Amino acid sequence: MVNKTGAPILRVKNVSKTFGGVVCALDDVSLEVYPNEIVGVVGENGAGKTTLMKILVGIHTPDRGEWEHNGVVVPFPRNPKEAARKGISIVYQEKGVIPSIKVYQFLFLGNEEKHERRWGLQIGKMKQHAREILEEFRVQCDIEDFMYDLPLSIQKMVEIAKAVLRIRLEQNRDTTDSVIILDEPTAPLTIEERRGMLGEILRMKSNTSFVYVTHIMQEVMEYMDEVVVLRDGKRVAYFDMSAQKATEADLSRAIVGREILAQPYEKGPHAAEGGEVVLSAQDLTTRGCFYDISFDLHRGECIGLFGPAGSGKSEIIRSIAGLRSRDSGKLLVQGREARQNEPAHKRLSRGVGYFSGDTANELLHDWPITKNISILNISKVVGRFLRFLRFKAEKALAARIVEQLRITTPDVNTLISSLSGGSKQKVTVGKWFEKNPAILLLEDPTIGIDVGSRQDIYQAVLSMKRAGMSMILVSDDLKEYSTLCDRVLLMKQGRVAERISAEQLSEVLKT
Amino acid sequence: MNNTTKHKTGLRGAWEATKNYPVIFIVVGLVAIFSALYTKRFLSPVNFTATLRQFVTLMLFSLGPSIVMLLGSMDLSFIGVWMLGSVLLWILTPVIGPPALLVFPLLGLATGFIAGVVHTKGRIPSFILTLAILITYWGLTVVLSGGYPRPVKGFGWITASVLPRVPTPFLWSIPIIVAAIIVVLRTRLGTYFWAIGSNEEGTRLAGIDVDRYKIIAFTLSGTFTGIGSIILFAHLGGSAPVEFNMNNVVRPLVAIILGGTPLVGGSGGPHRTILGVLTFSILYRGLHLSPLRPEVIDLVVGIVLILSIIISSKGTRMKGVDIT
Repeated sequence: MVNKTGAPILRVKNVSKTFGGVVCALDDVSLEVYPNEIVGVVGENGAGKTTLMKILVGIHTPDRGEWEHNGVVVPFPRNPKEAARKGISIVYQEKGVIPSIKVYQFLFLGNEEKHERRWGLQIGKMKQHAREILEEFRVQCDIEDFMYDLPLSIQKMVEIAKAVLRIRLEQNRDTTDSVIILDEPTAPLTIEERRGMLGEILRMKSNTSFVYVTHIMQEVMEYMDEVVVLRDGKRVAYFDMSAQKATEADLSRAIVGREILAQPYEKGPHAAEGGEVVLSAQDLTTRGCFYDISFDLHRGECIGLFGPAGSGKSEIIRSIAGLRSRDSGKLLVQGREARQNEPAHKRLSRGVGYFSGDTANELLHDWPITKNISILNISKVVGRFLRFLRFKAEKALAARIVEQLRITTPDVNTLISSLSGGSKQKVTVGKWFEKNPAILLLEDPTIGIDVGSRQDIYQAVLSMKRAGMSMILVSDDLKEYSTLCDRVLLMKQGRVAERISAEQLSEVLKT
Repeated sequence: MNNTTKHKTGLRGAWEATKNYPVIFIVVGLVAIFSALYTKRFLSPVNFTATLRQFVTLMLFSLGPSIVMLLGSMDLSFIGVWMLGSVLLWILTPVIGPPALLVFPLLGLATGFIAGVVHTKGRIPSFILTLAILITYWGLTVVLSGGYPRPVKGFGWITASVLPRVPTPFLWSIPIIVAAIIVVLRTRLGTYFWAIGSNEEGTRLAGIDVDRYKIIAFTLSGTFTGIGSIILFAHLGGSAPVEFNMNNVVRPLVAIILGGTPLVGGSGGPHRTILGVLTFSILYRGLHLSPLRPEVIDLVVGIVLILSIIISSKGTRMKGVDIT
């Protein structure tokens, strides 16, 4: 239960921020954090969540706004160091990890002063201190491990420990009232890893508060004490989750600003058994990953592979995509056998496309939308004679997709890097939409994006499906399976444990 | 949470060390091969001295650049610092005497600092920038010296023999190498350099002024090259050189990459470069004793460079610390 009798440890009022004098990123937003609570911050991509977080840790300076500390107005921090001195530290969504240094070096990165003497660092003391920290936060790794060796979930825990440690080091105290900002910490994790991490966060709540940015509704409903909803840079709603029973629908409505369940998802007719088989897997096996995987994928059908991490689901989809080889088994694509180490571009020419929600790897970030779409559809934008690129066709193609998928962008020539996460994802969907392969493999297609964009993507994917495209889905989002799939294969330790229809899925999971 | 497993002693420790530095196998292998092929000449005291001389030259040239390469950047200006410094020494010695030697570290420091500032603030790739500095310095050297090698008298004490069979420049180079290793392994600088080479954006997000530490890296590189050039100047003949030798640029790079500092940065460092230099020196001496012609030796060196780049880029994209 939230203890509201004390003073808030963080209170910012009426914060506004404009970029380049035009885009109003934040407009009159206030935020309060009390001791021992988790404040959820939700909103669509581009709603201003990240800007607000960056203001809290001193990366951006607000145009207007007040920072109140014990009833006194104090200046905003000017850099992350000053923010840490005020008791605020952040764990970034991505790019926060330095792969090639050791855990203890990473823990102290940027705050080595405490263990620095005239003749350099006292490595022994640093390691001892790091050991104590890992023990305190129950991080399951060794201080001498390299960061790249750790699984994503452990990396995140090390980052959280580092954030707390940073505040302690800056304030030179062992325990402090601190606020840790977590920017979508669980986005890259599997369902089990999420549970584990949130368990740790609940445990840490006894002496730390969190500001928790997320898109995952279930996390908001289960773990947050308060929720602040941002939309278009404004604070549009506030829910005290312990007092009133806000429903998921309430939250979604506040986030999107419209009724989001208005459009039902239309899967189209279920491809009957006996229909045309476009892809047939027969006893696919890769030792250590998956064994004896067999199924037939029909035209217009979507099969989901569902299971915990390590069940082999993403390895299967990647081996079908040609991104990795398999040991044995037969794969028939449109009736013709595909060799086991056939590369991805060959598979694509046979009509197998692979679409991942991992926009960091899927898109060319320094290129405009046009090029990102035409790279997969190059034959549609080259001239008949001499095959020169036709820029007009390129532009028209991109414009059509931007329109169809409701991508928010000023121009089709906008660079991918300046788009919001949801728009990036839509560009990826758009290029596959245009390519229209016979079979599309989907891996986490909507990871880390907001409800509104997610809905647009589902609609686009389902319209492809209705037009006869076959799909295989791998995801960590349960609802995705019931939204998109006709059939689901439950995976367990690399084997198919059960084959069920999408309707049966929710019942199986309840038990 | 097992914190005690990493303390290993004795033979096991030695084994772990060799496992982390596979280049040691190459060193042992090369020594074995060449000893078998040319037993008398390869294991002779003369060859021992020659190998050490080769080691000093390469080590002092590659020490600075191996710091910069940690960040994934490149510093090719080292030969320029050595050449231009030597000519400036020739000009200044008659005027101010022995203190003129300070021209090397000062020139190195200034060059490194300027390269760092232009590289970070001007967003200019370090490879082309330091290459331009190298060519500029070479041109200046030729202009200032009038196009002839200029011997400089009065610095014979740098190379005067102290221990039999051991070239004195080798002794001089030890404290310089140790200093560079301490800077990288025992101060926060090294950690920051690795971090920048590994994930520049992440390092920036950790609240570290990346540009500042890049400039520091280039300045350190220039300074170490400058200090090393004092020794190298005497070691390589005691005169201001005017001829540009591509080998002087390429061989240190081969040594650095052989040692395990990949071109993309993020791992390695001067301590690993020692092993690379040792490997290269032994390989070079072995080839030198063989009946191969010098041009063929250059060919072999080129192939070794290509191979080591391929190997280092394969294993070191994200990880690679233990790859040679």
